[in-house]
Amino acid sequence: MGRADDRQRILLISSAIFIVLVVMLTLSLKGSTGFQWILSGLTVGSIYALIAMGFSVIYSSTRVINFAQGEFSMLGGMLMYSISVKGGVPPWLGFILSVLIVTLIGAGLERAAIHPLKEQSVIAVIIVTIGLAIFLRALAKWIWGTDPVKIAAFSGEKARVIWGASIVPQSFWVFGFTVVAVVLVFMFFNRTLVGKGIRAAAMNKDAASLVGVSSSTSSLLAWTIAAALGASAGIVIAPINFAAYNVGIMLGLKGFTAAVLGGLGSFPGAVAGGLVLGVLEMITAGVVPSGYKDAVAFVILILVLLIRPQGLLGKPEDVKV
Amino acid sequence: MVSQQILGIENITMQFGGLAALKDVSFSVERGEIKAVIGPNGAGKTTLFDILTGILQPTAGNVLLKGESVVGMRPDQITARGMIRTFQTIQLFEGMTVIENAMVGCQSRTHYGFIANGLRLPTAGREEARILKTARSALEDVGLETRAVETGTNLPYGQQRMLELARAISSEPDILLLDEPAAGLNQYETGELSSILTRFRDRGLTILIVEHDMGLVMDISDEVVVLDYGEIIARGTPDDVQNDPKVIEAYLGIEAD
Amino acid sequence: MDSKVEKPALGEKRDYRNLLILTIFILLIPLWASPLPGDVLHLDIVNIMVLAGVYACAVIGLNLLVGYAGQISLGHAAFFGVGAYTTAILTCHYSWFPTWLGVLVGAALAGVIGWLVGVPVLRLKGNYLAMATLGLGEIAFILFTQLKGLTGGTVGIPQGIKVKVGEIPALSVFGFRFDTDIKFFFLVWAIVMLLMLLNINVIRSRVGRGLRALHSSEVAAEAMGVNTARYKTQVFVLSAVLAGLGGALFAHFERYISPESFTFSLSILFITMVVVGGMGNLWGGVVGVIVLTFLPQVIQAMPQWIPGLPSNLTNFSNYTLVLYGILLVIFMMFMPSGIAAGLSRGVYLGEKQFKRMRDRVRARKYEGH
Repeated sequence: MGRADDRQRILLISSAIFIVLVVMLTLSLKGSTGFQWILSGLTVGSIYALIAMGFSVIYSSTRVINFAQGEFSMLGGMLMYSISVKGGVPPWLGFILSVLIVTLIGAGLERAAIHPLKEQSVIAVIIVTIGLAIFLRALAKWIWGTDPVKIAAFSGEKARVIWGASIVPQSFWVFGFTVVAVVLVFMFFNRTLVGKGIRAAAMNKDAASLVGVSSSTSSLLAWTIAAALGASAGIVIAPINFAAYNVGIMLGLKGFTAAVLGGLGSFPGAVAGGLVLGVLEMITAGVVPSGYKDAVAFVILILVLLIRPQGLLGKPEDVKV
Repeated sequence: MVSQQILGIENITMQFGGLAALKDVSFSVERGEIKAVIGPNGAGKTTLFDILTGILQPTAGNVLLKGESVVGMRPDQITARGMIRTFQTIQLFEGMTVIENAMVGCQSRTHYGFIANGLRLPTAGREEARILKTARSALEDVGLETRAVETGTNLPYGQQRMLELARAISSEPDILLLDEPAAGLNQYETGELSSILTRFRDRGLTILIVEHDMGLVMDISDEVVVLDYGEIIARGTPDDVQNDPKVIEAYLGIEAD
Repeated sequence: MDSKVEKPALGEKRDYRNLLILTIFILLIPLWASPLPGDVLHLDIVNIMVLAGVYACAVIGLNLLVGYAGQISLGHAAFFGVGAYTTAILTCHYSWFPTWLGVLVGAALAGVIGWLVGVPVLRLKGNYLAMATLGLGEIAFILFTQLKGLTGGTVGIPQGIKVKVGEIPALSVFGFRFDTDIKFFFLVWAIVMLLMLLNINVIRSRVGRGLRALHSSEVAAEAMGVNTARYKTQVFVLSAVLAGLGGALFAHFERYISPESFTFSLSILFITMVVVGGMGNLWGGVVGVIVLTFLPQVIQAMPQWIPGLPSNLTNFSNYTLVLYGILLVIFMMFMPSGIAAGLSRGVYLGEKQFKRMRDRVRARKYEGH
């Protein structure tokens, strides 16, 4: 048993060294272009981190992986478009309304489709959340069609140049939002009684009833938070990417990879995983034909699952049979 | 004499972190005998079974099955070598009928796979017929042959236990490890179990049983081993053990708490 | 007493009889499919059934993996694609390469890849296995689009590759060309019925019991001598081979393939077919495939039954996707045994009724004497 622990420790340290080496190599070999990649990578990475947090919220509360997480972000962006851009509602109000609607949808889906599945197998829940994702995406396609829509950046479009790399102001909003989100979520789950109770409930269903938190409430609360988080993230992200009915797929997949990389259920892990993934992706895209960029996430996903399923910062649990 | 020994348990120690669940446990089981392991709850009896069947690896010690060391083998490998166990909590296969559950017991003695069975080769067909026959006679042994086509998990509790027993017998084992087979059975059912097990013993089967029901233990065991806090504190015939002061203290000591 | 245990418990004779009935019914489809109801419903039934047939190959295998063994794969479109691309590449780049061999090589290669990825990945549990297979499926898709020299990139085969071939060659076996819908229909469904025969044999054997045992309780199964790791790998490889077979047939039917045919959506479609058809049900694969291949076509054809519907209500692709999502959720929640369970219960009740009536007639005859 001790040897396995040592092996994991070595793995962790070598991964960290690997990442640092890659970054340093990029900077030294590619100079400011390399720095551009890293900066873009951090931006994209924060986006992944936000989605990853949504996964971790639901996972740490209910041990469920919500395949529809990306769709919450997509809906947030699309609703913001309809309400503020087309509807002319002031952005701050549009933001609140959009997030509210998606949160209600999330809570509603949990009650309607997830809660009744309490006793069912993990596979059943996976399939149901996939079904929900398909449903939401198809609904979005029906309502908004297939064309992407544009949402105005919060504070202007003009890119700033820092050390030879350009970055749009919206990226700072994303960074800032990520920080705020991590702090809020972390505090909720680690400093409040309810939050701690929810995490305890996920680890041990019997202990949960002692603490006074029912798994049913945990689940509902988790989905509500994840939906709100996902929606707001989607709105903050939308000016950088674009918003369309199918952005949820890639966001979801990459966000999930980031969550697994950082450690499912760990919020600092979600951030770490997201940033690492974003940077590695951007560097790969610069070096290798760009079509392979998306493969980075999936290769990382599989490597992590096979070698260290608990990710960088997660705790080992029953991942393998 | 050595060839008569089916199971040899040598100096088995099991440490979970700082806690020693089993300390230097040694005993052997001879062919054709029924040996019982008893002891207060938490004495380490199920842990012992988990080690014997390959679910857990001991911290130290050896397990010899028919002279071969089986420590480190997978459960299905140990099963193939003739040691089968039943579980404390019933682990019948959901969605499968009584006869199908019993037929799974034959898995370790049979080997035709996807291709042979997919194409229904004659050899696979003959194997299937043998499996059916073995399973049916196992069901007859425990009195379940009339309920063969019912769903296993729909049976009343006592008969589910019997089905587990039938499933184990189907594998035509050399030694049967029974983990509290009488748990939850009433007087009548325990009596049935007692005569079934004795019948098996008379047919040459070796049985190692962990049990709390003293009546059953006294009835059928040839020898009794008493565990307390992971150590053997007494061994001998049922009468010897019943009157052993250490054993009485171990049980009474717990009750006095 | 003997026969009572043998037949109902194992049910084989009943299964074979049902298979025979189904085979006859399906092989007669081209006779009655048009004029009625094909023309009336504006459906090209034979054509749709061919597609259903190639999908059925994949779904029968997937049902063994998901329904019986209790594992999951969200990337099976990859194996379907491997089969398709292998045969397309071989038969287009090398015009002498026999198409039937291309199909076999495609299926075999899918199996090999299934083995290579299955061994490490099947150690994972539930959620993690799902995500790993999803990731693998996506990687395969990316390779399909990026290895342009081999696969023709996003344009596909044959338009995207250098060799000047009009289309992927038609499947031909010993000189007989399967170049029409009807010919392919018979070929595909003969293959599917053969696969169903193998399916029945496997499920009613110790292998089938082993799979169901490991689905129910891996610990108990291992204790009974089921080598769970080996079974999981074998059933995974088998499902990969069958998916590859379906894909290869698909390539020779469509005569044109591109990565768009092998996306995550197809993997999900396969899973939906397994769930809706009936997980762990013998007929689940075939039922699910037929229902879900016809459903979008029926919806698309519906506007032609009712003239004058507004156009955005008739855009079928909107409906289909929403429908798939809802179906998946509802079936998983309320009817995991799928449609097939309902059907077989219907058949069983029908049988009972028939026997009762027959016995009554016999009794009356007897009394009459």
